[in-house]
Formats: sequence, C-alpha cells, structure tokens
Amino acid sequence: MLGAYVLLGAVLFVLGLVGFVVRRNLIIMFLCTEMMFQGIIINLVAFGRYPLAGAPSFDGQVFALFLIAVAASEAALALALVVLLFRHRRTLDANALTLLRDE
Amino acid sequence: MAGLLTIILALGAVGLFLALPGGQARAVRAGQIGLAASGVGLLAATLGWLFPWPGANFFAGCALVALFAAVRVITHPRPVYSALYFVLLILAAAALLVQMQAEFLAAALVIVYAGAILVTYVFVIMLAQQARPLVHDIRSHEPLLGCLAGFLLLWSIAVRLFAAPVPPAVPAADLPAAGTVAAVGTSLLTTYVIAMQLAGLLLLAALVGAIAIARRRPLRDPLLEGEE
Repeated sequence: MLGAYVLLGAVLFVLGLVGFVVRRNLIIMFLCTEMMFQGIIINLVAFGRYPLAGAPSFDGQVFALFLIAVAASEAALALALVVLLFRHRRTLDANALTLLRDE
Repeated sequence: MAGLLTIILALGAVGLFLALPGGQARAVRAGQIGLAASGVGLLAATLGWLFPWPGANFFAGCALVALFAAVRVITHPRPVYSALYFVLLILAAAALLVQMQAEFLAAALVIVYAGAILVTYVFVIMLAQQARPLVHDIRSHEPLLGCLAGFLLLWSIAVRLFAAPVPPAVPAADLPAAGTVAAVGTSLLTTYVIAMQLAGLLLLAALVGAIAIARRRPLRDPLLEGEE
C-alpha cells in the first residue's frame, strides 16, 4: 500500500523533472514544478497514513498543507516574473533568455 | 524483479523520448504505445507486489489517469491543453488523497490548484497565445539527456523501493477517521501553530512581491535592447 503510493509519487516527480529540463516554454516549465509538488504531496500523505512505525497521524496532511501554501506563493511570483519577461522579450522561449549565459 | 522493473522503466523512458515534441508523427505514435505499455506494466508490478489489497482497483484507476495526464502535460505541443491536462492530474491526485482519508486536503487541493492557480495559468496563456504553434513549443531542449536522467533517477528509487520490506498493513479503523477536518485543524493550531503563522507571512510576502514585480514598467535597458 505504502509502496504503491510512494512509487506513484516518485513517477510524478520524475515526469515533472524531465518536463522541466526538456520543455522550452516558461509556462510549461512552471506547470512541471507544480507537478513535482503533486508527487511530494502524495508521498507526504501516504507516509502519514501508512507509517513505518507507530500509529497513523495527521502530520503528513499538515505538511502537505504547508506545501500547498508554498506552491501558491511560488506560482504567484513565478507568473509575475513570466509576465515581466514576456513584456521584455515578447517570447516565452527559455532559450531566448541568455543574458547570463557563458558564451 | 529488478530486471523486469528495469525493462519497464526503460520502455517508459524510450516512449517518453519518442513522444516529446519535435519527433515525427510515427515516432510519437510509437512512443505513446510504449508509454502506455510501461504504465500498465508498472501498475501491474506494483499491485502484484502488494497483492491482496482492498483498494487496489481504485488506486490503479486513479494512478492510470494521473500518469496519462502527467505525460500529456509534458508532451503536448499546445500550452493550453497542457494546463487542461494538469487539471485532470489534480483531480486524480485528489481522488487518491480521498482514498487515504485526507478529505480536507483533497478539497483544498482542488480549490487551490484547479481553481486559483489554473485560472491564473490560463490567464497567462491567453496573454501569450499565438495562432500557430511556436518553435519553442514544438522543439524540445536536449530530450535524450532529460529522459536518460529521469530514467536513472526513477530506476534507482524504484529498485530500492521494491527491495525494501513491506510495512505492516494498518486497518482503516486505526485512523481517527471521524472529522478529519477537526483533527487536521487541531494539529495545525496546536503543534504547528508557529509554522502556520510563518506560512501566512510567506503568502503575504509573495503577494506583495508579485504586485511589486507586476507593476514595474518594462525597462528600456540599452544592454537588453542592443543584444537583440
């Protein structure tokens, strides 16, 4: 039971990681960070529900709530930055943002 | 077991590589078939390993929907459809949380993500939506290395996970199921009250920061202008 949930959370995290590295659209990249958060939320709740030792507790759910708050903050700031970058460059291509890149 | 797992995960990695934007139509079709076979094999291995389990069928259905939606988010060339598939992923994850008796968290997840965040995403996508697919949506950045890194990470996690001892099953009666909202709220306002205050502070800071960033006029930086 625990293993199934942990494996699903790991798959979601890895899919988000691959998408973040591979895709070039800034909005898709931020969707992928949210997908990684999903995998971690499923993991936290599963570890709280099926603990390796002791009785089940609600700590995992509380941690997941904090994670949702962090994800909401991150999304607000990231989208503000995306809007600003789009107004600068008129594109969402991550490969167009090369000002700090070593030539 | 480890050999079978390696084959399943490698099939999934190759399928994902072929299905990512930038390939030929036939390769994308083959990649999708490979991904589907890999997902079903992974679920079968998981459920076979944990057999018997009362909620296995429900878990398998929700997990299939979640995996399909997650793959479509990162392989679809149109950002609007990626956002819609992300809503599907949220709904499947919320159903899994309900199965783990986290009803309040499931409701919060749907409200916060499928409501607020996705509306914001769709708003931004409307800002930047073009009539034709753009080159950065139909071309991927280093898909081979990305899929290889993902395969290695997931393989190392999964092999250790399948080698670990299965924890003892906890019957549903052991969890104080009556009023999970009350239980979560009590825990939130007693044990973790300082952390909750900090979370509120973080949200306020993010709000102020987002407004400060969004209100800025676009800079007319000569360095930025000259580079293009």
